[in-house]
Amino acid sequence: MKKIVLLSFFILSLLLTGCWNARELNELGLTLVIGLDLVDDKVLVTAEVVNPTYSQQSSTTTGQGSYVKYVQGVGNNIYEAYRDITLKFDRGLSIVHNRVFILGEDFAKKGLVSQIDELYRDVEQRETAYLLVAKGGKAYEVMGINSGLEELPSNYITKIVENFKYNPKTVDTNLVQYIKQYYKMGHHSIIGTIEKKEKKVIDQTVEKTGTQDYELSVIGSAIFNEDVLVGYLNGNDTKSVNFVMNKIRGGIITFPTPTAQVEGSSTPPPPVEGEMPNKQKDQNLSSVIVIKNNTKNDVEMVDGNIKLKTKIELRGSLGEVVGNIDVAEKENIIKLEEACSKAIEDGIKRAFKKAQKEYGIDIFGYGLVFHRKYPEEWKRIKKDWDEIFSQADFEIEVNTDIIRTGLINTPINKIKGK
Amino acid sequence: MIWKKISLNKREIMEKFNNTSDLVLYEFETNSNIKMMACYIEGFIDRELFDRDILKPLILDLKKVKDIKRTILTSKIKEIDSMENLIEDILSGNIAIFAEDLPLSYTIELSKWEKRAVEEPESESVVRGPKEGFIEDIFVNKSLLRRKLRTNNLVFEDLVLGKQTRTKISIAYLQGIVNKRVLEEVKKRLSKIDIDGVLESGYIEQLIEDRPYSIIATIENTEKPDVAAAKILEGRVAILCDGTPHVLTVPRLFIEGVMTSEDYYVRPYYASFLRFLRVTALLISVFSPGVYVALQLYHQEMIPTVLLISMMGAREGVPLPVALETLLMVLTLEVTKESGVRLPKAVGTTVSIVGTLVLGQAAVQAGIVSAPTVIIIAITAISEFVVPALVQGVVLYRLIILLLGSFLGLYGTTCGLIIYITQIITTESFGIPFGLPFTPINKEGLKDSIVRFPIWSFIYRPKAIAKRNIRRQKPPRKG
Repeated sequence: MKKIVLLSFFILSLLLTGCWNARELNELGLTLVIGLDLVDDKVLVTAEVVNPTYSQQSSTTTGQGSYVKYVQGVGNNIYEAYRDITLKFDRGLSIVHNRVFILGEDFAKKGLVSQIDELYRDVEQRETAYLLVAKGGKAYEVMGINSGLEELPSNYITKIVENFKYNPKTVDTNLVQYIKQYYKMGHHSIIGTIEKKEKKVIDQTVEKTGTQDYELSVIGSAIFNEDVLVGYLNGNDTKSVNFVMNKIRGGIITFPTPTAQVEGSSTPPPPVEGEMPNKQKDQNLSSVIVIKNNTKNDVEMVDGNIKLKTKIELRGSLGEVVGNIDVAEKENIIKLEEACSKAIEDGIKRAFKKAQKEYGIDIFGYGLVFHRKYPEEWKRIKKDWDEIFSQADFEIEVNTDIIRTGLINTPINKIKGK
Repeated sequence: MIWKKISLNKREIMEKFNNTSDLVLYEFETNSNIKMMACYIEGFIDRELFDRDILKPLILDLKKVKDIKRTILTSKIKEIDSMENLIEDILSGNIAIFAEDLPLSYTIELSKWEKRAVEEPESESVVRGPKEGFIEDIFVNKSLLRRKLRTNNLVFEDLVLGKQTRTKISIAYLQGIVNKRVLEEVKKRLSKIDIDGVLESGYIEQLIEDRPYSIIATIENTEKPDVAAAKILEGRVAILCDGTPHVLTVPRLFIEGVMTSEDYYVRPYYASFLRFLRVTALLISVFSPGVYVALQLYHQEMIPTVLLISMMGAREGVPLPVALETLLMVLTLEVTKESGVRLPKAVGTTVSIVGTLVLGQAAVQAGIVSAPTVIIIAITAISEFVVPALVQGVVLYRLIILLLGSFLGLYGTTCGLIIYITQIITTESFGIPFGLPFTPINKEGLKDSIVRFPIWSFIYRPKAIAKRNIRRQKPPRKG
């Protein structure tokens, strides 16, 4: 008897957990991208839903309709907007595979934290979904544009964000990274942007048709003060921020080629403003491919003055050398390394100045470094950190180490007759 | 007891055999005028030899009754003085000879009946290794085994089981290597059997196994003498049963289900790879339908997006819920398998055509079954055939896991996995843990589990099975 009671308790306890909400696949509206906008102070949710019948047809016949459908719902908050969709759309949205959230500019300017609680609370939502701000417009305006080979627009967006590893001129902040940044002391978050760009007309014979002439670009990033959108960084500044935040895993650095002269008379390269500047006439530019990068940030307090320090150790290989320089020579490699370091330094200084003077907020995370090094002082100054940050001195040291030079030693324009 | 009078003996034998028509009672008189009678069962003996070597010398040369043994020149002649033993002997293919005024009978073993030739067993075919298999005759089987183990340590202990079938059973083991506890246990359990008929070794298996209610079989069977010999060499006990080519070996370990004789004949790397493959196939075969349904119903987030979308596309317009659809296909698979086994070979091709075309392609095209389900079932079926020794357990557990997965999702399939593993590691086979060499861990045994080490590294027999005399070979000299 006792055994039966115990056993029945055991069996009943099985029902306490588990996944009771079985959903057949043909009842799902698989949502892959969600756009959030503010319209008349209400939340407008635009969802990109996969059309499975189309995917089945596409291999055999020329499918009718499109691979995705867009559904919209309005509500006072996100959940209400989701539920608004149910009375307009025949299948329940399943956001388990949602990969991208696109925030309209209005939505981001209103402050995120008060609005996106649902995204974290919902058991279905993936925390690895990317957050992107639709630069200068509404989220639904960029949705539906697909200039890639992926059939799904969502895959197109995800892939170009993930190309961050080849070109760090963007950021791949996802939901969980955003909230971690938000809660970090003395650190303001930056998240990726997305914008619609018109393509240059390639084939003049084809008539212009709708979205075909647009492409999406995720270059640049959006700066948030606490959780409110305050401005944008361009691609190069974003790369500089990524350098300071030690997020560079790949990509290239472009810098003016130093001139190889006879010893003693080498003229320093003309000063340029930041990395990849507006190219001056007849200036030769070279590129280094990043193999490995390591950034160390430090804060120093001397007599009440705060000094922010960043040290970058970069290992790279030569990607492109334009100009009259023989890279087989050790000295020339050192020159190239110095020029590359200089370019990174200038770029970071420029981004730093922008953060200090233009926005006056710490987007690099020096506050956290300070907090770790001087926990006592931090308690006093944490309220005013942004102000202190915008007054602080900045010191940067970059060491570039070029370990490979590619397949050829001499730039091809050097060989003949020189 | 045997009567002096032939007529009395004749009457009693006929009474005992209830006048059965295949009993031959042949009365004859020798040249020296001795009345005699031969008694045998038709079809059990070699008639030609009987006429030439028994009847002829008796009729022509027998002078006195006492000289019967001297007249018939055979080593297989016995004096019998009780009717019970006589009947026993007649039933096992002996010829009984009676003579007038002789209060005993002679039985001569001259049995000969139709039997199959030794050929390659269909259930355990190999590419490399001996192709011979056991047959239905226990004497041949014993000789096949003896040919593999030509040692005086190989012992056969005979007994007879089944009150009506009087089936000959033989326990085979290697004296000095066998685990005595297992041997005693086998003998004890066999002696307790009290059944009217033993038609196949499966009867014995079910009568002596440790857990009569368990899905898992705890007794191994094989059709190949080399396999049986290898098991005996490891200290196991083989039970041969007359009338079936399937020889039982105990104790059985779970890992034996993924072993084949060929593993030991090919090189160790490939053998280890195959073992690993079979374990994987076993898991796929048990779990894939259950996990498939669980993922599709409860955990869409775990399926890669693109795969999920194509699965959704395939499911569009399929009327049945996925759990029912999969269950239907799993059952269809079993039906197809069963019909393929039972059907005469000529109709066999029809089954494959009906199975592949109608159930596969047509069902998908008609939108009754989705294509991924058919793929999953196909993978399940293929994987199942990789581990034929475990098929009975696999099929039933697959259904259990499928039901658990349909109602409880991955939580259910995990519960199923736990139940499966618990059952494996708590089972014992004749006192030996079924989960060896993993639970309890056994270093020597691990060398021959999922990985098969080279033969030269098998210095000891698996300790848990062979308790004594465990050294197999000299350890290789170092340096």
